[in-house]
Amino acid sequence: MTEAPLTVPQLADAGTAPPGAPAGEAPPAARSRSGPAANVWRAIGHNRKALVGIAMLAFFAVVAAFPGQIAPDDPQAEIYQPGAGPSLHHLLGTTAYGQDIFSQLVWGTRLSFVIAFAVGGLATALAVLVGVSAAYLGGLGDGILSLITDVILVIPIFPLVIVIAAYQKNAGLLTLIIVLGALGWSYGARQLRSQTLSMRTRDFLMAARVRGERKLYIILFEILPTMTSLIVAAFLGGALYAVLTAAGLQFIGLGDPNSQSWGTMLYWAENNEALGAGMPLWAIAPGVCVALLGAAFALVNYAFDEISNPALRPVRRRKSVDVER
Amino acid sequence: MKKAVFVLLLAGLLAAVWTAAGSGAGTRALGSSGSSVTISNEQGTTWTCNFNPFNPSVEFLSFGPVYEDLVYQNLLKSGAATPWLASAYAWSNNDKTLTFTIRPGVHWQDGKPLTAADVVFTFQLLKKHSALDLNSAWSVLSSVTQKGSNQVVFTFKTAAVPYFYYVAGQTPIVAQHIWAQIKDPVTYKDSKPIGTGGFEMSSCSPQVIKYTKNAGYWQKGLPKIDTIYYPAYTSNDPANQDLASGKAQWGSQFIPSIKTFYLSKSPDNHYWFPPIVNVSIFVNLTDPTLKDVAIRKAMAYAIDRPRVAQIGEYGYQPAANQTGIVTPTFQSWLDPTLAKQYTYNPQKAISILKAAGYTMSGGVFHTKSGKPLSFTMVNIGGYSDWVASAQIVAQELKAVGIEVTPSNLSSTTYDSDVYTGRYQLAYDGNEAYGPSPYYELRNVLYGPASAPIGTAAASNWERYHNAAVDKLINAYAATTSLATQKQIVVKLEQAMVRDVPVIPITEGVDWYQYNTSTLTGWVTPQNPYAQPAAYAIPDWGIVALHLAPKG
Amino acid sequence: MRFIVRRLGFFVVTLWAAVTLNFLIPRLMPGNPAIAMMARYRGRISPQTLHALEVAFGVNSHQSLFRAYLAYLANIARGRFGTSLTFFPDTVTHQVLQALPWTLALVGLTTIFAFILGTLIGLLSAWRRGGMLDSVMPPIFVITSAFPYFWLALIAIWLFSIKLGWLPESGGYNITDTVGWSWGFVGDAVEHSILPALTILVTAIGAWILTMRNNMISVLSEDYVRMARAKGLKPWRVMWTYAGRNAILPNLTGFAMSLGFVVSGAILVEFVFNYPGVGWMFLQSVENQDYALMQGLFLMITVTVLLAILAADVATAMLDPRTRDVR
Repeated sequence: MTEAPLTVPQLADAGTAPPGAPAGEAPPAARSRSGPAANVWRAIGHNRKALVGIAMLAFFAVVAAFPGQIAPDDPQAEIYQPGAGPSLHHLLGTTAYGQDIFSQLVWGTRLSFVIAFAVGGLATALAVLVGVSAAYLGGLGDGILSLITDVILVIPIFPLVIVIAAYQKNAGLLTLIIVLGALGWSYGARQLRSQTLSMRTRDFLMAARVRGERKLYIILFEILPTMTSLIVAAFLGGALYAVLTAAGLQFIGLGDPNSQSWGTMLYWAENNEALGAGMPLWAIAPGVCVALLGAAFALVNYAFDEISNPALRPVRRRKSVDVER
Repeated sequence: MKKAVFVLLLAGLLAAVWTAAGSGAGTRALGSSGSSVTISNEQGTTWTCNFNPFNPSVEFLSFGPVYEDLVYQNLLKSGAATPWLASAYAWSNNDKTLTFTIRPGVHWQDGKPLTAADVVFTFQLLKKHSALDLNSAWSVLSSVTQKGSNQVVFTFKTAAVPYFYYVAGQTPIVAQHIWAQIKDPVTYKDSKPIGTGGFEMSSCSPQVIKYTKNAGYWQKGLPKIDTIYYPAYTSNDPANQDLASGKAQWGSQFIPSIKTFYLSKSPDNHYWFPPIVNVSIFVNLTDPTLKDVAIRKAMAYAIDRPRVAQIGEYGYQPAANQTGIVTPTFQSWLDPTLAKQYTYNPQKAISILKAAGYTMSGGVFHTKSGKPLSFTMVNIGGYSDWVASAQIVAQELKAVGIEVTPSNLSSTTYDSDVYTGRYQLAYDGNEAYGPSPYYELRNVLYGPASAPIGTAAASNWERYHNAAVDKLINAYAATTSLATQKQIVVKLEQAMVRDVPVIPITEGVDWYQYNTSTLTGWVTPQNPYAQPAAYAIPDWGIVALHLAPKG
Repeated sequence: MRFIVRRLGFFVVTLWAAVTLNFLIPRLMPGNPAIAMMARYRGRISPQTLHALEVAFGVNSHQSLFRAYLAYLANIARGRFGTSLTFFPDTVTHQVLQALPWTLALVGLTTIFAFILGTLIGLLSAWRRGGMLDSVMPPIFVITSAFPYFWLALIAIWLFSIKLGWLPESGGYNITDTVGWSWGFVGDAVEHSILPALTILVTAIGAWILTMRNNMISVLSEDYVRMARAKGLKPWRVMWTYAGRNAILPNLTGFAMSLGFVVSGAILVEFVFNYPGVGWMFLQSVENQDYALMQGLFLMITVTVLLAILAADVATAMLDPRTRDVR
């Protein structure tokens, strides 16, 4: 089910909806046009969900950056008493192989984090490239790029990733990132294309064109900044998708079993019946981490929906529909 | 739309509540009727209801309980033979002719009698369709003919004593009156198998096969239980769970932490893991660096086998020894002085490498030309115990200055690499074995069974070639004297120790758990009357015959 | 008209792309199914036997890639998906048809149920902005939708099956059952599906709640809804027939696609619950390099997605006249 929670909401308005699908454009008037990036940051500061999400991300980022300082134990070393319960020496106990679970968890953060950001980044870059070019090129170019986007949107990604991961087991991390990134951009591209299309005729772009600015300049400095929230949403969606898919793949044994990540921990925990054999933390802890990292991305994403579409912001009960009526 | 939504919602909730309430009653206890046994053996697949005994993926589902062989050989007793469908047999003509007397009074499950003609037919079938000849019997046979009314004569091209196991013990006998009608026996599904065995396959679905007692079985009074359930498990978890909860009584499973997970759940739960075949590091002897025996000897000293066995395999698989003799199963074949060599000694490993002219720099030994001793070891990523073991092996080799990177592949990629010789080191326990150590040693050491790099080799994946050893192996085939056979095997052990073509690490076992609350007659370490794993052919059929309801 | 042509073109091209990808991927991967077969025999097999098997399985038939491609296209056009290596000698079609009902019943029904329930919650929370439902449900389910499904399933099995013993932990039905349309069997199958269904529901529902809520909020600010309210129509009527109906439209395509992706979603579900469906079968085919089975399943998934989108297109066009004009 790794795919469903992600694909479904993203695709919700994608498939056949005409340019100007609701999530992208619903209240165009609401989108600020001057210094949008700055506005976005200000809005984040006022949104509790965003703050919580970002705080969680920052926490994981610190852990990923300095695992050695937090957990000095070698996460792979099989030197402790196997299957020990939590203690001061081993905060979360040890694995059936005598490894320190806490260290594994801390060191595993890095890989999950890298996958999330690399895939999110790659997918977003491709989405911007394809989406904006399609809209800006128009005509045949648009036709071809849109077709490619739609085709990739329909190809079942998870099975495809499984096939590739199964046969490229050894290639590991880089392959995983490239495959997930290369297949995960289509939804974002679609949205960016619609958004760009809807803006092509806006006054400020007309003005830029009249000024004689080059296309590239217009795209980079006039169009892209107005789409910050869409781009961020594409990134967050991609990152969340990557975290869950990678964990799923590693869990079923299609990652590199010698690598240090949460999904791999779950793979080993499951293979050693951690839950039934008295080492429940071995299976629970990495799952909680995946869920927390995922939730962080989801929360920020949720918040961005509200930021980019003020109509969605929480309202006080008192001034709700009843009063309006 | 409103109504539809609510009706659906309500229906769903009601269904959930109703079934949740109903489930408390617990209709799930399976072993409750005393005369049935439920097997838990994760095969990673659902059943296809194919029972063709010549199809290697499903043969274990019919060969044993339904189809039977001529003479049963027990691996756990060094091949002790029990006449089965043949009541007697004899070698003659310098071990080139083998004559079986077919047992009278045996009937197929459809009531027709078993005859010598059925046996001849079975072997002619294998000759005609070589895809069915899983043991390559016809690579050594020259003819199979009927003699008199109840005898079958096998004539071999050369002396072929070890082939007795394949011909008599590993070939299921099928009925001529049924199989002669089948157009293409290779793709035949045999969904209603008719054998001579103690159990009939009575129903099959993708999730479970049910076998029931054959009332007319030729061994009077057997079987004693009425039903065998063989569920399909696609993953280990539920299979282990069913054993722990007692839903299944006969396990053939790797259960991690077996004491807490299984033994502690009931005093009736027991397990025994008899060792069968070595799990070894295969060393590619054509590799320019690894062909130096000094490196292989150093590796053999550097690996703490008991530690690998303890951590990587939970101690279920015991540590192996360099002779290649699996102990205690084949203890009587072992030269104990040879077995003591290569016990863990990292200092010795380092001194061997130094003496052979390798120099240490940066924690890694280098060849004279400056190449580091750094190798890749392929492994099957899906076998988590192998992955864990290989990881420990790599750590230990690192400690003596040999760098080994485990590479965990899909089993198909792995097999392809190993068979064609495109690897440096391989962690492998896939070689074929038999009712004496000869079978495994032959597969490891016999030159003609190997193949050049790039061509798939049936065995001898490390590409070992030694004319003297080949001669010994051929000589074994020409003697029925146990004493001579043992002498030959000891010489093979010497070759293993001298040339270190492979490095045995742990001893692969038959996975076997059993619950004694409702059933007796189980295989135990004191009474190893057959291989106890519910996938061992034809042994598990024999175990099923021994099981009896308690009390 | 142009819209229809465009959509049809899209379907044809996508189908072709999927079919071709399907053909290429296994062939670009390393490994050799003949050797995979050999491994099953633990090296006992002679070269003659191996060759005989290769012929029987139809592997290693030194055909050029292009000719193999043509033969593959021709076979697909005739609905022939070949013989499965894993389940030899069964055909792919036979195996898939055997497993498909389980997947459809479990994951398919749960997907529909998640959509209905999620839509309902989304609709209600948008209608009563800031109410109890609105302040609790969307945030909770947005977070649960980020949970790794398989992990939640593992914990649920541990808790509800093993510790509490309320529900069976694996399989599609009791192995002592006789498969058929009896009350006992169906009840048992339902009981076995509760735990996997609930875990799917918890992770899948958040998406529908959120999108429906957002759509609904947008629609509620439209003039015709204000108008309806001003006319003094019953609030429930406004909610259902005016706002809800329009808010659900953009979600139809998403729903269609999620139905199509049922099989991909089923992979981990069936892996964890030992469920006899096609998701698990797909994993199996990949591990065994069973090209024929893998291709058959992959194609089935893609075609289902395409058909579902086609259906959603038609439905949207019928319900929402605006779509027809746009392109």
